[in-house]
Order: sequence, then C-alpha cells, then structure tokens
Amino acid sequence: MGGGKRKKDEGSDVEDGGRENKKSSKERMLPSMIKNKEKRSEVHAKLKHEKKKQKQKQAKARDAAIKRAIELGEEPPEKKVPRTIENTREADETVCRPDDEELFAGNDADEFSKVLKQEMTPKILITTNRFNSSRGPAFIQELLSVIPNAHYHKRGTYELKKIVEYAKKKDFTSIIVVHSNRREPDAMLIINLPDGPTAHFKLSKLVLRKDIKNHGNPTGHKPELVLNNFTTRLGHRVGRMIQSLFPQDPNFRGRRVATFHNQRDFIFFRHHRYIFETKEKKDDSKDKTAKGAKTKTSPQEKVIARLQECGPRFTLKLRSLQHGTFDSKGGEYEWVHKPEMDTSRRRFFL
Amino acid sequence: MPRTIAVECPGCAPLRALTTDVLGLVKVVEARGRPGILKVVETWGQPDASSSVLAASYADHKTEPLLAVARKNGLVDFINPLNGEVLNSTKIDQSRSSDSSVQDDHVAGLHLFKTKGHDSFSRVVLLLACLEKGNACLTSIAIKDQPQDSDICSPVTWNVCSAGKILCSAVDKSENYALFGGKGVELNLWDLENCSKSWTAKPPPSNNLNIFYPTWFTAATFLSEGDHRKIVAGTNNQQVRLYDTSAQRRPVISVNFRESAVRAVCEDIDGYTVYVGNGTGDLASFDMRTGKLLGCFIGKCSGSIRSIVRHPESSIIASCGLDSYLRVWDAKTRQLLSAVFLKQHLTNVVIDSHFSDEGSGGNNCDQSDYLQVRNDTEIMDDEEMPSKTMKIDDEELVPIPDKSKSSKTKKPSGIEKKKSKNRNRYNDEASETFESEDMGELVPIKRKKSSKERSKSLEQKKSKKAFGQ
Repeated sequence: MGGGKRKKDEGSDVEDGGRENKKSSKERMLPSMIKNKEKRSEVHAKLKHEKKKQKQKQAKARDAAIKRAIELGEEPPEKKVPRTIENTREADETVCRPDDEELFAGNDADEFSKVLKQEMTPKILITTNRFNSSRGPAFIQELLSVIPNAHYHKRGTYELKKIVEYAKKKDFTSIIVVHSNRREPDAMLIINLPDGPTAHFKLSKLVLRKDIKNHGNPTGHKPELVLNNFTTRLGHRVGRMIQSLFPQDPNFRGRRVATFHNQRDFIFFRHHRYIFETKEKKDDSKDKTAKGAKTKTSPQEKVIARLQECGPRFTLKLRSLQHGTFDSKGGEYEWVHKPEMDTSRRRFFL
Repeated sequence: MPRTIAVECPGCAPLRALTTDVLGLVKVVEARGRPGILKVVETWGQPDASSSVLAASYADHKTEPLLAVARKNGLVDFINPLNGEVLNSTKIDQSRSSDSSVQDDHVAGLHLFKTKGHDSFSRVVLLLACLEKGNACLTSIAIKDQPQDSDICSPVTWNVCSAGKILCSAVDKSENYALFGGKGVELNLWDLENCSKSWTAKPPPSNNLNIFYPTWFTAATFLSEGDHRKIVAGTNNQQVRLYDTSAQRRPVISVNFRESAVRAVCEDIDGYTVYVGNGTGDLASFDMRTGKLLGCFIGKCSGSIRSIVRHPESSIIASCGLDSYLRVWDAKTRQLLSAVFLKQHLTNVVIDSHFSDEGSGGNNCDQSDYLQVRNDTEIMDDEEMPSKTMKIDDEELVPIPDKSKSSKTKKPSGIEKKKSKNRNRYNDEASETFESEDMGELVPIKRKKSSKERSKSLEQKKSKKAFGQ
C-alpha cells in the first residue's frame, strides 16, 4: 500500500528533478527493500539510532530555548499540544452550549428534573439477571455501598416489566439491573422511573474493592459526584440520568467522591476518599534560583489533597438509550448504536 | 493529519418544513440557494413541557395556509404557518370523559380538512380530532372571531371504540373517510358524512407456532390518494400490513420489517410505495403491490422515527423523530440530502409545498426542471403527460425563463439514468399485477381534476381492477 503510494508520488512530481533525486536516494536506503536479512536489520538499526539521536537533539534544543527564555525573563515558547483522538474529534453540532436557552428549558422539563431539583430523594432498586453468582453479588454489595438509599431485591423469576410496575408503586426513582454472563457482570441497565428513559450499558474492566491495592473503606456519607466530559445532548442526558441516581446534597464532611469520567464514549467509574493534608514544603533548587527571596519569607506549608481509592472500578459504554421504561420489543429508542455509525475513529456520541 | 470523513450531503431543492416538538415549539426549517442546506429560520412558542405537541395537521393551501397543533394540555392551536401568529386556540371537547381520567386523555390524531368545510371568506375550518380513549370529534371552528357564527354547525362527537387506546388515525384524500386504530383497537374505517362505521379489520390468525399477537396498531395511512379502500398499517410487532376493505377483513399482505415496532407510515403519490419508519430509526420504502422492500434509507439515523412526510410534488421525503434531527431524503435514490439538528425530540413534520425560493430565480426553474425530468421518466407511457405537468407547474410557480431549458441538461442527466433504472426495476417487480399504464393514469388525473371528480373517477377505475391479485 505504502509502496504503491510512493510510486504514484514519484510519478506526479517528475518535473522537479532535485527532489526526485533525493527521494530515490532515500528509497535506496529503505531497509525493507534489502533482501539480505542481516544487512537489512543492520541498516534498520542504524536508521533507528539516527532517528533517536535526532529526536534527542530536538528535545535538547527545545529545553535550551526554554531555559534561555526564562533567564532572559521572556515568555517561554509555547508548549506544543500533542494531537490526540479526542482533540481532533469530528465536529458535532449536538454539543451543548452554555448559552442555549432551549437546553435549559428542556432540562427543566425532562424526567430527571424532579430528583435534581431535590423535590424527591432518589431511591434506587438494584437487582440482577435471573441466574447470578460469584462476582455479580459481590459487585452489587459494593454498588450498594457507593449509592446511598439503594436497596437490593432478589430477582427471582419476575419479569422486568413486572419489577418496573412494582418499583413504581413503591416510589423508587430508578432501577439498576446488573446483568452477568458466565458469572461475570457484563451489562448494566439503568431505568429511570416512572416514565423512562432506559439506558443500556456494556460493563467491562470490573475490579472489585478487594482486588485494589491499598483500598479504603467508604463511609456511610453521601458522596460527592464528578461527571466529566458529557458534552453532547445525548451525553448531557446520560449525565443527568447518572446524576439522578445520587442524592443532590452531598456530605462534604465524608470526603467521598464518585467519579464518572467520559472519554471517547467510555464512561469510567472511580470511587475515592480524599484528605487535605498540610505538608512542609521542600526547598528545591529551582525555586531558589527563580524566586528565591519570596519562598523563603512565605510560610513553608502547603495543602495537598491525597486520594485513596475505595472501589469498585468499572467502565461503561452506552449501547442504547430507550424512551420510556424497559420494553425491548415495542420500545422507541432515542439512540441506538448502529454499525454504520462507526465509519470514523474520531466520532463520539457522548 | 487526522483523517476525517466529511459526510457529503448534496443538499436539496428549496424546501420549507415545519416541525413540532415535545416542548411545544414550532420550528421553521428552510433550504435555500443552490446546495440547499436546511437551516432553522424561525422558532415559535415558549418552551413548556405541558404544551408538548402530540399531533399536527397542515392545510396546504396556496393562500392562507393553516397549521393546527394539538397540545398535551388539551388545547388545539391554529397557527399561521407564514408568520407564526396564533390565530385561535380551542379546547377539544372532553365532556364525555368528565371524570378524573381527563388528564390521561390526549389527542391521538388531528386532521384539518383541506377541501371540505373550508371557507376562506369567513375562515371557518373543519377539524377532526381523535382522543386516545376513543372519542372522535368533528368540529368546525372559526379562525377569526366574528360576530355571526350562524354557519358554524355544532360539533359531532362519536365513539370509535369502547376499549383500548387509539394511537393512529388518518383521513383519505377525498376527506370522506377516516381511519382509526391503536392498542387493542382494530382498524376502523368510518364514513365521515354520516358518522357510521363502514369496515373493521380482523386480526390475522395465529401462526404455525400458535402464537397470537395482540392487536396493536401504531401507524396507518391510506395507500393511494384517490382510493379509500387500500389501507397500510404498521403494528407494534414489526409488521407492515396492507388491507383491502373491498376484498376482505384480514390483511392482504403482511411484511415484517426489522426488529422494532413500526412508528410511522407514509404513502407516496404514485399509489403503491410506502415509507416505513420504526422505533430504532430505520427508514425503508416498500412496494405494497408485492410487499417487497425496495430499500433502506441509510444515514446514521439513530432515534425512533415519529413522522414521515412526502413532498406533494418533488420526490423528497422528510423524516423526524427522537434523535432531534430533521432529515430530508431523496425518495427515489434513497440518498440523504440534508439534515438539521433541532435540539428537541421532534413529534411531527409538515412540508409547505408552495414554498419557492424567491431570492434567486434560478431555483424555481431548477425545481420545475427536476419535476419535468421526473415526469418524463416516470410516466413515459403517457405521452401528453409531461406537457400537462409543465403547464401546471407554470401556473403554480414562476413562468420559466428560456434559459432554463438550455440549462436543463445539466442536472437531470445523472438523475435520469437512475430514474430509468429504477423504473425498470419497478416494472420487473410489478410483474403482471399492475399495468404500467395504470400508474400513468393516476398522476395526470390527480393534477387535472377537482378532488371530487377525481375520487369518483378513480373509484370507478379501481373497482374494476383487483389490487395485487
């Protein structure tokens, strides 16, 4: 493929002879064209080494430039931002804007506004699929410790639609169904009550508390909630849905945080405790040289936050968002993932 | 460099569409200029969840068009679709259900009569509204408050069904017959003149596994414009059914479409194609003579389709739904022409067919060119046909300048090819069931004669020919 392209290029710029010459000489250098393996690997290693050297040189030059700029008291040259898939994401017109009046009106009218305006306290019912063992119950145990006012009910052989009816009667605001396959939780269904929506997530990378090194044990306080990067209308809606699972008045004394971080449509869940500690500041040489006098006079104390993970850890990926409560056959979907949407790596929906 | 693929939308002919959404807003979307990209031009109304629009109907007159919008709080607003002025709003009669269930009883279907009861002088319109609990109501309403309301007849109310929930309703082109169906309600055909039930469907027998699906119609429409006897309905168990009221009570053809409930059905003007949208956002066209799937409309549509509407003249359809996008497709090539994000869950879309881009004269002739090409290729059997439609276009639109004829060859060439290809395929599929001349006749009659004459003549013709058999 690459070879073919190169040839084409060659054909196109025949006119400027100098460039072409350069190219052809480069081509001769290409290790992949050498048939003798020993020679090829030798040339390849040499080429690689050269590249590395050049890179180091560039880095050195860059560092020197920064240093010089600081010494001269100038602004250091701007740091280059690496190009990632996220910051080159496809332009999306559905991204929420803070000045969008309609968005706020829509928020006021949606299904979660009652809980989010604290007119109702969230009450969650957690249940499983019919056959459930091993990691499933352990995960639910931990989920119960994460979400306040959550109640586990055994699934039994009830249909989900019946459970929805039951939960509506008992004033639950949401149902979480943890689905496990081969004794490993692999999907999660969040149903907002009384009239939807229903989100279906794929659940992966589940790490339970006991498998996390140096894990902490959460307290019974209401956690704070961090929702990151839910940008589009769909993401906004999913974010609000997750928000409505938690009480809106966290106990800041508990210093407990639940984080839902969206990155490339994967929602990462982490659960932490944090603590603010005052620490003696170490004098390092850099500070001395730069703003020496200042640091000496100022108090040598600095507040730092330390985190301790409590678990569990898991990743969610949205598969579908259904309008109304669970109805797999006759339901209307607000969003379904379809394979024809996956034509670009840089298109994200949340 | 990041390799991003720009989605190529070729743009559509000048178009004006109105959408309604769950917050009660009415948005006007227009496509202007050469590559007509849809844009939101105006937004009418205040966002309010209680005034969420459930049904809308559009009287597509050349002068004084009217948009009726039924809201969740029981009001029906009459809106001037040109400037958004609310002309009148009335409460739909809920006297029958005066008990506590009033709140649950919403408007399920609304139809504004285009030919009957429309009096442009006093601006009295006839309106058919259907409530979920089964009450249908036929009222005439004066749009402008006038002292004399002598000619306003009292509303006629009748009960369509005693149990169940009505979800869909339709009125045929001659506006003599209405159709109702829903959850637990078999399709009913009603004669509007004397408010009598003329036909009821019968559920199909249970299948070979003895599985019987309960009645649950989610969408219905009349198949061809001049004929009230062919009905296409979509059900909750993914079926698209064709009923022939003159033949039998059970469906003539029943086709399964994908794995989600059918949510919207729209007929084409050719009298045999229907467009079907379902709960997962799949949109497809079916040939109802054979029940064959002609093809799907592919364009990253991810939310349930709530409404499909076809442009009365050019071969364009518009669809909208829960993914908040209004999409405009070419009905024949099934290509996405343009899409616009409208921020709310949309419930209905209507097309203003009398819109023409007055900004530039070129577009008008472009549209008529397009029309002519379509007619040329579609209805080649009838030789005098193209000239006829051209004449009508001339009346409706701006007279075509001479240069347009020279520029005609520019656009059509590609389209013509495709069209002719399509046509061949239709003919293959049509096999012996439909004579091609039959289709040729349908269109000119529709354009030429007044509605009553048309319906009568078509009825006579149709009665001679059995459909699909």
